Amino acid sequence: MFFKTLYRDLVRQPLRTLLTLSGVVWGTFAVVLLLAFGSAVKEQTMKSFRGMGKGIVLVFPSTTTMAYKGLTKGREVRITPETVETLPTKLPETIEMVSPDFSRAKRIRRKKEEVFNTVRGVNVDYEKMRNTIPAKGRFLNDADLSLRRRVAFIGYTLAEKLFKEEDPVGQQIFIEGVPFTVVGVLIHKIQTSNYNGMRDEHAAFIPWTTYTALYGDKFVNCFIYRPIHPEESPQSIEVLRNHLGDRAGFSPQDKDALQIWDFSEMEGKINIFLLSLTIFLGMIGSFTLLVGGVGVASIMLVIVEERRREIGVKLAMGAKRRQILAQFFLESITVILTGGAVGFSMAALLLKVLPMDKIKDYVGVPKLNPLVALATVATLLIIGLISGMMPARKAASTDPIEALRG
Amino acid sequence: MIELVKIRKVYRTGQVVYEALKGIHMKVNPGEFIAIMGPSGSGKSTLMNLLGCLDTPTEGFYFLEGEDVAGLSFDQLSEIRNKKIGFVFQSFNLLLYSTAFENIELPMLFDGIGRRERRERVEMLLERVGLKEWADHRPTEMSGGQQQRVAIARALANDPPIILADEPTGNLDSKSGKEIMDLFTELNREGKTILMVTHDHGIAGYARRKVEILDGQISTDTPNGFGHPTSPSPESPV
Repeated sequence: MFFKTLYRDLVRQPLRTLLTLSGVVWGTFAVVLLLAFGSAVKEQTMKSFRGMGKGIVLVFPSTTTMAYKGLTKGREVRITPETVETLPTKLPETIEMVSPDFSRAKRIRRKKEEVFNTVRGVNVDYEKMRNTIPAKGRFLNDADLSLRRRVAFIGYTLAEKLFKEEDPVGQQIFIEGVPFTVVGVLIHKIQTSNYNGMRDEHAAFIPWTTYTALYGDKFVNCFIYRPIHPEESPQSIEVLRNHLGDRAGFSPQDKDALQIWDFSEMEGKINIFLLSLTIFLGMIGSFTLLVGGVGVASIMLVIVEERRREIGVKLAMGAKRRQILAQFFLESITVILTGGAVGFSMAALLLKVLPMDKIKDYVGVPKLNPLVALATVATLLIIGLISGMMPARKAASTDPIEALRG
Repeated sequence: MIELVKIRKVYRTGQVVYEALKGIHMKVNPGEFIAIMGPSGSGKSTLMNLLGCLDTPTEGFYFLEGEDVAGLSFDQLSEIRNKKIGFVFQSFNLLLYSTAFENIELPMLFDGIGRRERRERVEMLLERVGLKEWADHRPTEMSGGQQQRVAIARALANDPPIILADEPTGNLDSKSGKEIMDLFTELNREGKTILMVTHDHGIAGYARRKVEILDGQISTDTPNGFGHPTSPSPESPV
């Protein structure tokens, strides 16, 4: 009985049904899109963040701002790669692994292709810390370092530029005229931030031992380390300041002597930010949906008013109050769920056809994950229940005598 | 069939107390055709609402086929209305967005009658009121007289013993009015008990008993001896 009258009520007055629907359609559309984009941005940011490395701390030797042990302030802090490499042994409780990092732009040539890209001198552990995972070949190894081999691990964009379709592994390139053998190519990874030069996709990585031998650098541009306990990275920085201050001649209290970029700490902050972003977007979406729900409720209230006579007739013909209640409640719920389904499909369709290539690196690819779907359905149901119940109760409390008069 | 005992109906709005019915005694036997008359404000509408189980009395007893319905809940009364009472209104009160067929079907939907039986009964009723060809038309496409005939078919849907008609010809021209009254007369002859509110003495003439209400009380209750020229009742001496 419900479905028969329901069908009649909804289909026989298409304009009314359509108007009621539109609010919910739009609300659902908005909430789905917002949540899909929100979770994509979140995922993407974390991914590109990991592109820099996970749980690492970058240390940039800088200039002292305090006098220390008879040394004036304004001295450049200079740290040798040897000092850097002893850190895990000297501070075994604090530092798990470390890599010196030399970098400068160099001419890199292969046949007639020449570019002016960043060349980095690093060690083996750099791979684990910076996620420079090979797609082909391998990263630098211990023998490369100890033998000062002229080998290079290159970024994928650099590889495409120099080698086009060819496999670069085992081939030769010239860095400042010196031949190097390519041992590996970086996988495609997303990286939106960087330091000291170009992104990894454009760079060539060589053993730091080869780098210092060829270019004569004595002090690192920066170095990377991974604390043993990532959650205790702020403490590890203190320990490091104390240890290096003695050797490099700066006060442990001189915060500016070493510039620090702490990824573990930032990761936590970014996580919190992204979580609040998702909540924020979800709230905007839910409020939009709520407005749709209020629309349904108010239109249904008007409809109930408009249909008092019909309700009166039905009551006189023997309808029970709960049948009237169910009729109007089901009508609202049907409108809301149909609107939800339409809005959801529209959002899904838009996400499918929307050209995302240009912004993919920054916002990711928004897609409908189960969580978004679940959240939308739950919100719709709650709004449906509330905005369906009010008009239905009003309808069911109609006095048939009043409604039939005149 | 129907027995009203000391029925009082009192309305209270704030401090104002208004007694619409002041102790009604009335007995209706099966197969009667009664016209209820009275000026507006006399309480006849209140009486009709009570008889139709749309309202409950403040005091008194209402026995409908032996059952006291005065104290029943709204939903219990709904069931009685559904099975025992057919309503015919002055303004027809058809559902405008439904076809004639669907309007007639309505009381059966609330009674949970199956699809096939509904179809059979609706078709039978449409034929009974002479609107066989109009099943799929909406009220807006019909004349007043046709609409009222649909309403009568709807009142008969669950084959109730009692038909309550409130000014059934009030919105009709005299020709359509006469057709409707002829239909009522026929139904009465077939055994339906009909209670009809009217202002019109000509229309009241179709009934075989006339009850007049004045100031919430029955002022006269007389058999309609003279009858109506075109519709002699079986017992009337013709």
